[in-house]
Amino acid sequence: MDIQFKGEHLLPGQLGQLFIILAFGSALFSAISYYFATVNKNQLDNSWKKMARYGYFINTLSVVGIGACLFYIIYTNLFEYHYAWAHSSRTLPVYYIISSYWDGQEGSFWLWGFWQAVLGNILIWKAKSWESPVMAVVALSQAFITSMLIGVEMFGTRIGSSPFILLRNAVEGPIFSRPDYLTYIKDGNGLNPLLQNYWMIIHPPTLFLGFASMVVPFAYAIAGLWQRRYKDWIKPAISYSLFAVMVLGTGIIMGSFWAYESLNFGGFWAWDPVENASFIPWLTLIGGVHVLIVYKNTGHSYFTAAFLVIISFILVLYASFLTRSGILGNTSVHAFTDLGMSGQLLVFMFAFIAISVWLLVTRWKEMPITKKDEETYSREFWMFVGAVFLALSCLQLVIVTSIPVWNAIFGTKTAPPTEPVKLYNIVQSSFAVVITLLMGFAQFLKYKRSDATTFLIRSMVYLVFAALISGIIIWASGLYHTHLVYMLVIFGSVYAVLANTKYLADIFKGKTKLVGSAVAHIGFALLLVGAVISSGTSRVITINDSGVGFGTEFEKVGNSRENLRLDFNTPTKIGPYTATYVGDSLNGPNHYFKVNYKRIDDKTGKVTENFNLLPNAQANPKMGLVSSPDTRHYVFKDMYSYVSIAFPMKFQDDQTAENEGHGEANEDKAYAKPVIHEMNIGDTIRYRAGLIILKALNKDAKVRDIPLAKNDVSVGAQLEVQSNGKVFTTEPIFMIKGGNKFDFSKKVDSADLKVRFSNILPEKGKLEITTYVKPEGEKPYIVMKAIEFPSINFFWSGTIIMVIGFLLSIFRRNKELKTA
Amino acid sequence: MKKSSILGIVIIAIAICIIISTYADTSTYGSFNEAKNTHSELHVVGHLNKDKQLIYDAKKDANYFSFFMKDNKGEECKIVFTGTKPQDFERSEQIVLTGQMVGNEFHASKILMKCPSKYTQDKVEVTEANATKQASI
Repeated sequence: MDIQFKGEHLLPGQLGQLFIILAFGSALFSAISYYFATVNKNQLDNSWKKMARYGYFINTLSVVGIGACLFYIIYTNLFEYHYAWAHSSRTLPVYYIISSYWDGQEGSFWLWGFWQAVLGNILIWKAKSWESPVMAVVALSQAFITSMLIGVEMFGTRIGSSPFILLRNAVEGPIFSRPDYLTYIKDGNGLNPLLQNYWMIIHPPTLFLGFASMVVPFAYAIAGLWQRRYKDWIKPAISYSLFAVMVLGTGIIMGSFWAYESLNFGGFWAWDPVENASFIPWLTLIGGVHVLIVYKNTGHSYFTAAFLVIISFILVLYASFLTRSGILGNTSVHAFTDLGMSGQLLVFMFAFIAISVWLLVTRWKEMPITKKDEETYSREFWMFVGAVFLALSCLQLVIVTSIPVWNAIFGTKTAPPTEPVKLYNIVQSSFAVVITLLMGFAQFLKYKRSDATTFLIRSMVYLVFAALISGIIIWASGLYHTHLVYMLVIFGSVYAVLANTKYLADIFKGKTKLVGSAVAHIGFALLLVGAVISSGTSRVITINDSGVGFGTEFEKVGNSRENLRLDFNTPTKIGPYTATYVGDSLNGPNHYFKVNYKRIDDKTGKVTENFNLLPNAQANPKMGLVSSPDTRHYVFKDMYSYVSIAFPMKFQDDQTAENEGHGEANEDKAYAKPVIHEMNIGDTIRYRAGLIILKALNKDAKVRDIPLAKNDVSVGAQLEVQSNGKVFTTEPIFMIKGGNKFDFSKKVDSADLKVRFSNILPEKGKLEITTYVKPEGEKPYIVMKAIEFPSINFFWSGTIIMVIGFLLSIFRRNKELKTA
Repeated sequence: MKKSSILGIVIIAIAICIIISTYADTSTYGSFNEAKNTHSELHVVGHLNKDKQLIYDAKKDANYFSFFMKDNKGEECKIVFTGTKPQDFERSEQIVLTGQMVGNEFHASKILMKCPSKYTQDKVEVTEANATKQASI
């Protein structure tokens, strides 16, 4: 059946699809050509290399072309394409189009391919004699990644998933049998509101640059084995590895900052499988960098260096298999769903495993493995031990995160640990203790051989200092309430900071030049201090201890009651603050809840601090309530709060409806039955939310736009309303105009009240005031959770210092490369 | 003995410890029936019984949420969760609970639910969306 569909723009998609095929073909061609360029014995014959380069250049252009087509489709809202329909909408601001690239799997593969293309060009430019073998590996990886975008059926299975697939081909529905179906598809699904955050513009590109750059040290390691050039791949590999760990580390922390700032995880790290998946290769490559340096300086540990560098890239592939194949299923909140590519991802991974194993086995005998034992009092030995411990901590992460994979392999039905966060925290902290201590005392050692006595004396002195300082920190932060291992991490980290600061001081005295490593170590140790203190002593301050609940059945539950209801305009004690939910505002899809915090001095009653936080929620009709926290930052702590339930919740679509339908009758429904009171001046009415006092009468009350004739009467009742400790004045008006009675009611929203001056009763000498009170249940409220995170700034600043350290190291290693 | 061999033994020992401790810390997927016969926490997979009442009233208690769930063996149990009602809970297709039995109630410490979300491009939702669009013609 062939239907002529109306209004479709097929050109950009066809062009994009052409670019995809071209990108895949050229990458494969380039890989094969580089292979022949490498094995070609004739040194003067450059033809293979030239062809390979052209192939790679075409690949780069095609990848850019794919991106451009996709951008055009999203930018011009061509919802006949599934990708645009699924990940964008007409209202999406242009800068979030970039974010919609990584909302879907196809877009994120494109991003990976893009960075790999860029890195490949840098290698073509810089790698010199290494170009052919290294690029053969990179181009092969590029071929695999671009194959993920193909989306064509071959041999009965679909290869890849194309971002240019049409909506009518991707989704089934009776609507698609209509030639004019496009006229009914008015808008796309829109970008996941959680991704509509400025961090999401910058975090995924950084993370994927990190992932992509892992291929470079891997390619060097493979090329070194392949070409039997066991020595000189080390130096460039160190530089590229440092770059990869720096970028990947930055990307990971950016992700955690995003989670902290805009998700209601309740923290910056949740050991979610997806987070672990990015952290695992980082750990092994950090180990790899250290062993590479050991090998460079001493000639020891060749195999470990190569192995760690290789396994890091394999783990990147494994991580993308975990997060993209849908295998994590029940265990992760934010893994991608299965696009039917798990087979392809596995082929990708096993192809590179096979190459690595083959080379490691065939070159085993030739590898420069030293027979001599390392000195105990040498830096390289302990760096090696540290790297091994990093790998072991990584092993624990891999084993636990992969539980669904073990289930799939062995047919078991094991569930993940019930308290994964606690388990990871304790196990990973134990490794962190060892690693930080090694980070410390390795600084007192020299390469090859150091004097044992001076080493022992120095490191002991610093240990004593570290014990003192960490003792103070543990006492001051209240960390002594927690598990012993957290205190040991603080001890180790302080030791690492001290030892590396001492090392840094020596550098300024001119003894050595390795500034970068010391700075990076200090940064990492500070990061750990921040992470441990803030997660170890974070405190939910919205503990509900009001005792109101469902009775005794509830008290058996061990869980603490961490959510607190804040009624509109009702001050509630939250930790040291008095919090009041004072208002709402709407901005685009965001509903902001204005919560005022006051810190009141108990003795003097003075307000010492007064601020507002605006946690927001998106009442997304498609996704329900998506809440984002708002945080008060202090130097030594953060106060973080988010709203999980709100009543009433305003949807963006409701806004207009509300403004239009404002009938008086409609409005009275919001109040309980009116109550008529007969009053004199000075009388008081008690109502649910407070008191109303009739203060005085205003004989010539004026209502705007209503001129009064001679016999007309207009009287205002000056009322004082006291509610929730606040005093309001209001003046409803009673009017006789042309012999008819009118009255003008007044609302005091904050007191849940509407009052009418409904009559004057001359025979009784009284006034009639009618009150409309909002029933209690109708009062708006929010349910909120607030958490204090102490010392979290150490975490962020530690990260920045660490990145600076990496940068310094890269500069220094590059200098070495040039002088070498 | 060479230092590297000692180190190797230490590494292997730690690796074995990791594997054993992982095995010891893992939980199991079970049914409500199994949950009644054990004191340890376990995971129960099932789906929400949409015919019975969900109780969440922030006015009374912002930290009490209860509902009825049928596990994969068809057994039904009342669930109590100390916290707020997760958004879109009514729409969930599958629920994974972590927790244990207290009397006749299952007290969940964690709820993981699968929704036919717009953002995972589930077919169920997509066809629904199309149906409403056609209705508005």
